[in-house]
Amino acid sequence: MDDLSATRSLARVVRHALIVASGVVFFVLPLVATFLFSLHGKKNELGFSAYEHVFADPQFYSTFLFSLEMAFATVVLGLVLLLPTVLWMHLRAPRARALIEGFALLPFVVPPIVLVFGLIKLYSRPPLDLVTSPLLLVAGYIVISFPYLFRSLDAGVRALDLKSLTEASQSLGASMVTTLWRVIIPNLRTSLLGAGFLTFAIVLGELTLAVLLAWPAFGPYMALVGRDLAYEPAALAIVSFLLTWLFIGLVQLLTRTKGP
Amino acid sequence: MPYLTLQNISKSFGSARAVESFDLRVEKGEFISLLGGSGCGKTTTLRMIAGFETPSSGTIHIGGIEVEHLPPRKRNVGFVFQNYALFPNLTVAGNIAFGLKVARQKKADLLARTNEMLELIHMTELAGRYPHQLSGGQQQRVALARALAPRPGLLLLDEPLSALDAKNRQRLRQEIRELQQLLGITTVYVTHDQEEALAMSDRVVVMNKGRIEQVGTPREIYQQPKAGFTAEFIGTLNRLHGVWEQPDQGIVRVGNLLLRTSPARGGLAGSPVALGIRPEALVWNGQGANSLPGRLVSTSFLGPSIRCVLEVDGQKLIFDRLNHTVGFPPKVGDEILLTLACADLIVL
Amino acid sequence: MENFTHLTRPGIVKSYVTTLQISAFSAAGGVFFGFLLAYAATLGGLPRALKSFLLTFSGVASNFAGVPLAFTFIATLGRVGLVTTVLSTVFGIDLYDTGFNLYSFWGLGITYLYFQIPLMVLLITPALEAMKPSWREAAESLGAGSLVYWVRVGLPLLLPAILASFIMLFGNAFGAYATAYALTGGLLNLVPILIGAQIRGDVLHDPNLGYALALGMVAIMTASIFAYLALQKQTSRWMT
Repeated sequence: MDDLSATRSLARVVRHALIVASGVVFFVLPLVATFLFSLHGKKNELGFSAYEHVFADPQFYSTFLFSLEMAFATVVLGLVLLLPTVLWMHLRAPRARALIEGFALLPFVVPPIVLVFGLIKLYSRPPLDLVTSPLLLVAGYIVISFPYLFRSLDAGVRALDLKSLTEASQSLGASMVTTLWRVIIPNLRTSLLGAGFLTFAIVLGELTLAVLLAWPAFGPYMALVGRDLAYEPAALAIVSFLLTWLFIGLVQLLTRTKGP
Repeated sequence: MPYLTLQNISKSFGSARAVESFDLRVEKGEFISLLGGSGCGKTTTLRMIAGFETPSSGTIHIGGIEVEHLPPRKRNVGFVFQNYALFPNLTVAGNIAFGLKVARQKKADLLARTNEMLELIHMTELAGRYPHQLSGGQQQRVALARALAPRPGLLLLDEPLSALDAKNRQRLRQEIRELQQLLGITTVYVTHDQEEALAMSDRVVVMNKGRIEQVGTPREIYQQPKAGFTAEFIGTLNRLHGVWEQPDQGIVRVGNLLLRTSPARGGLAGSPVALGIRPEALVWNGQGANSLPGRLVSTSFLGPSIRCVLEVDGQKLIFDRLNHTVGFPPKVGDEILLTLACADLIVL
Repeated sequence: MENFTHLTRPGIVKSYVTTLQISAFSAAGGVFFGFLLAYAATLGGLPRALKSFLLTFSGVASNFAGVPLAFTFIATLGRVGLVTTVLSTVFGIDLYDTGFNLYSFWGLGITYLYFQIPLMVLLITPALEAMKPSWREAAESLGAGSLVYWVRVGLPLLLPAILASFIMLFGNAFGAYATAYALTGGLLNLVPILIGAQIRGDVLHDPNLGYALALGMVAIMTASIFAYLALQKQTSRWMT
């Protein structure tokens, strides 16, 4: 390789490396700042007292647990709703894809703030007086996480040869339910888990629906802490960030180790 | 003076040697094919001529100018890609005119030349179409026209027909060759398809593992393959193992048979020799000087021909018969006699 | 239907304008920096591991919004934030003296960039991966240098995807409630904040204003979606 073209490519790579480096600074700096800030719990002393406060607060656990429960309900109900739909779409109604993918755009067209407004207006009067039921919250969460659930399931089903699998199973005498339970779901394990973890991450951090429907969820708790305390919010932000990384990391791990 | 010269070209990617000791001279107007299987280095060599890769060592001269340090856009070469690489956002006319636009040609000249190229590939009515609206064959013609529009001195094609179906391939093969001869442009053509290389080229360069195995006209390559790779790679070849009996006369002993080669290319009497015979050279009850009696072991019906296997002296020979009945066709198990002309007994 | 006349009230119009401005600003910033970042990682000749790390990180960061994000930026650019402190102690610059305020339009805009840029990276990387190197080579063999290639082929091909991403980012910012609420406590005059206030009954209880605001937002988002889909179609026609 001659000198000129070598220098040219080197300059090019350096330029791009600098861009990435600045990106890294922009994204890492706030996190570092937050972490340092969170260590200021005690006056003039760097320590984890802010974290101690947070982890000693019973409300931290109660709201976190509540959000976990809501997330779990969202994942279960969402999958119960979506898995048959996706399977049906692949097996019998490929034309319905356009419609279903249209629904996946719904959370964009109707952002959470508008969604919660609509839900309240619709369900705050009898006979549909559901505003105080946690089901409404879960329903809202399902709408928000719909795109992620759908895309994950769709990708997973697409990787299987669903038609052949179902036909093989049925020709061996299995009913549709058995096929679903013993053949399809085990093969979709990665997608199901991936979709689940992603939804968990979303629901745990969700604020709009939870605070406007007045639920003691993790998001509103964090907002409350932010109002009253100085350093604990930073600790919470770090905890929240780590949790999100954990969930997304799990999703990546699952999708990396390819296979059902 | 040759138009394109490659001297001692080699290219390594890390520790892998893609091309080694490549020497070639191409005359102006010549159509050269680089033929070989995947990984033989033919595409890498072509890309080095174009300037997309820089050789690790060696020199390249195009039109007398040393180019291996020049970027592609200064080499005056036209390149046709396997996947056409047409610019999706430009029309057929826009694609063809691209090189002219870059060279800032005057509008009138540009239009004239573009129309000229459109005529040449018979696609004048499709000038306003976009690549995604064209068939594979049409896209390839546009790619060719685009490469030729700026009047390059050298045309390079990288397996341009491999993405097309058989019928299209045959037709385009002819069109490309005709166009090349009409324009008289020096051309280097990379392919893994023997038929293409033999049908289109003035000379064929057979490559294997980064090296040149043999260079010659299609006829030379086919009828006088050098030992080893070329012999195996080009067409089907029967191999016989024999021993020189009277080398100055070209007489070889194969088992119980005495066969004669012509011209006499002898070695030492008693030394072993490998012989090659093309299936179509063996004739049933023909007039060649060599006789090979044997037993018919199997036949395969191929449509226009029947491929038969004959067992001669413990060795198997493949020969082809045309599919028309002349007398009674031999059956499996029959003892038959094949004849072979002396010139068709190849010494490897 | 007379609800819509509510929308023409000057305070409401201002909120739409402000929301449009912040959405446009954060979308433009997100598109610009996100593109550079994605390009550097995908086509910039850097190690492959970097790109996959960047994509993973973008997957996390694009969801990192709302309360935790607000806290993060308060800790960075707030009155006693790290950067603010470093600027005053090391460089002697008082950030808040210059008129900057995290709890304002520009502060929120910069905060939005934290999830807009990663979102752009996620959206534009597939399009960048679909750029065939043979296009670049073909252009080079026809005499085009880097600039000519980008102007005539590269950018035109990427433009639909870039515009589609811009729309996506725009909509994302337009409908964002949590971050704005957490950072400015509902003080900034944005449409989502107004709707939130309507729900809480904070403002002069005007039941129909909420509907009008919500519908206005849905209308804008729907128009965006149609534009987005049309641009996606164009991209797939050219790049498959």
